[in-house]
Amino acid sequence: MGGELEIKGLYKSFMVNSQKLSVLEGIDLTVGDGEFVVIVGRSGCGKSTLLKIIAGLEMPESGTLRLAGKPISGPGFDRGMIFQEHRLMPWLTIERNVALGLGRVKKKDRARIARKYLSMVQLEGFENAYPSQLSGGMSQRAAIARALATEPDTLLLDEPFGALDALTKIEMQDELLRIRANQKSMMLMVTHDVDEAVFLADRIVVMSSRPGRVRAIVNIELPEVRDRGSADFAWYKKKIFDYFFEHGSEESTDFTI
Amino acid sequence: MKNKPLSILFSLILPALIFSAWHFATVAELVPTLLLPRLDAVGRTLFEQVSKGSIIKDVSISLSRIIKGYALAVAIGVSLGAVMGMSRIAEKFFSLTFTSIRQIPMMAWVPLLVIWFGIGEKSKVAVIFLASYFPILMNTISGIRRTDNGLLEVGRMYQLSRWEMFRTIYLPSALPSVFVGLKLALGISWMAVVGAEMIAASSGIGFRINDARALMQFPVVFCGMLAIAVVGVLMDAIITAASKLATPWERVR
Repeated sequence: MGGELEIKGLYKSFMVNSQKLSVLEGIDLTVGDGEFVVIVGRSGCGKSTLLKIIAGLEMPESGTLRLAGKPISGPGFDRGMIFQEHRLMPWLTIERNVALGLGRVKKKDRARIARKYLSMVQLEGFENAYPSQLSGGMSQRAAIARALATEPDTLLLDEPFGALDALTKIEMQDELLRIRANQKSMMLMVTHDVDEAVFLADRIVVMSSRPGRVRAIVNIELPEVRDRGSADFAWYKKKIFDYFFEHGSEESTDFTI
Repeated sequence: MKNKPLSILFSLILPALIFSAWHFATVAELVPTLLLPRLDAVGRTLFEQVSKGSIIKDVSISLSRIIKGYALAVAIGVSLGAVMGMSRIAEKFFSLTFTSIRQIPMMAWVPLLVIWFGIGEKSKVAVIFLASYFPILMNTISGIRRTDNGLLEVGRMYQLSRWEMFRTIYLPSALPSVFVGLKLALGISWMAVVGAEMIAASSGIGFRINDARALMQFPVVFCGMLAIAVVGVLMDAIITAASKLATPWERVR
């Protein structure tokens, strides 16, 4: 098992039309081992950038990131990432896609491991199909299997169900909880779907935009199996929504004349 | 057109119309046979040349030149194109030189190449190489460059080496574009070899056409042109089939 993720004073900016635009400012966040944290924010609040920095795909300008005590300096097999698009290689069969990260594993074990995770996401029988033959939901399942196959301690999910229809999305959320019960890995998800956040998270991090800052952290004290129709569930949803829509909030500065 | 024989038949309608128009125009003597020989005369010459084997010999000489020059262009064009597509520095290093050379029409190379290599095999192979190299290079570069950044990020997540990145992401992603280049280059190299053989050669189908023109054997000229067209269509079909074999994932949907 891995350790906790510790982010301190993270800063990141982009150059837009030769002007410096800060994307993330003073992000402090600690995620415990095995914890499920969901980051919600408007599009453009830098939440995906934050996830990419944790993945090691982008470098912060200042601040420290430690995972299990070790500083993050690039991608690593201790982290797996699931993107909004499935990002399967169109030219590889599903099995070979899932085995993509298994370069360090003995050749003869690769297919077996790939099959194990394919059956975990209920894709048995599709080993030799190409991604174009799968539906959106099935492709995303395959992408989850690929991320799990390397057995990362930390799973980073960048709006993984954002492109799916509402019903498939709910199905996938249930699936993710089932996988989590099995894997016990730390999960860090980014979304703008408040319902999804309350359904999945142990803690929700609310981010404000331009620059992206941590606005609030909300502990979700709901039972493991959550009822989307319950009053408590609705209460949490309203609480999160309020951060975005209450009057006089810093978000409303976007609309000043 | 789901029915295959029917669809082939359909695409043969226009050629059939053209040949019949040719036939009736010459039989009715609407055009002098000196300008357009009669179809049956061309047919007889073609039959003669095929049975004697002379046209097959001419075509195979030209084809063997194509295979040499084209193979060289494929090897260098694809590998250098891959390097230039993946590395900005390599692209910058070669770009100006290649763009300049590319402006020179392939036929303008012939006099120089003849001085360097003589009128034999080498100069023809060099012309074919020069003609087919750039379409292959350019299409390989653009194919590599258009590789989806999202897929490359996945490769980086799994710490794939540069070679693995090339083999599992860049190359398959670029393949359809590479094949566009290969197809284009094959057509151009066919033109290049015939052109070069017409300017300076002592064998090959281009030489035969030019020789027949000088001897006023117009049916032979037409036979040569027909042979070029037929062989070109066949080679195009071969490349198309190869491209389908190389990209099986493009066919399943």
